Amino acid sequence: MNILFAILIAGALVGLNVWLYAANKKTPVPEGCENLKPDCRGCGITDCSLRAKVENREEAK
Amino acid sequence: MNLFTLFLSALLINNVILSKFIGMCPFLGVSTKLSSAIGMGVAVIFVIFGASVLSWALYYYALVPLELQYMKLICFILLIAAFVQFVEMFIKKNSPSLYKSLGIYLPLITTNCAVLYVALDNVTQKYNLIETMVNSIAVSAGFMLVLVIFATIRERLAASDVPEAWKGNPIAFVVAAIMAIAFSAFAGLV
Repeated sequence: MNILFAILIAGALVGLNVWLYAANKKTPVPEGCENLKPDCRGCGITDCSLRAKVENREEAK
Repeated sequence: MNLFTLFLSALLINNVILSKFIGMCPFLGVSTKLSSAIGMGVAVIFVIFGASVLSWALYYYALVPLELQYMKLICFILLIAAFVQFVEMFIKKNSPSLYKSLGIYLPLITTNCAVLYVALDNVTQKYNLIETMVNSIAVSAGFMLVLVIFATIRERLAASDVPEAWKGNPIAFVVAAIMAIAFSAFAGLV
């Protein structure tokens, strides 16, 4: 019985994550924040997804 | 435990970065500019507080009654990730100005181990809700305090004449070590 509850709780949390992720993606970015980008010069985390996006955008230009 | 002692202990004596060596990645990564450090620090305080209270409630109202305490790690990770998504969505909808200053840092916090550390520490130490709230605010404020101090030092270091081999992370680690020694002097405070 406990295993069932464990699966239910884990499943519910995964479902919540997926739902919130989708809802967050659908939520429009506020006006004036469309081109918001991190200042990657101030950061040493080189494998960050945000950094990759900014670098790709700059390369495309 | 006295709440003031708990606060002071988590803020200075058992500082999450300089004493526990947790959250070193943003400590070194987002500390080269003061403005980035302040943005990250405020976002961390907000997320740690919210995630700690939620994970405490999940643990004591769902996992303990069902005897599923062994699931706390996976549950807390999922809860923190979901909470960060929710906070980002909420800020996007309701406060564009806040989104402008914090939005960039929110996704990075999902992978900040300090958030998970506080959530796990609260249940391991068997804190009640009030103690959980005080501890989470103190730990995150300690994180921001050290991050901001470190950022101001690194901004000055950037303009200093540092030997070539010591530039960047090497001198940052030396500074962090000196800061850790200085913070260890707070041990006799309580």
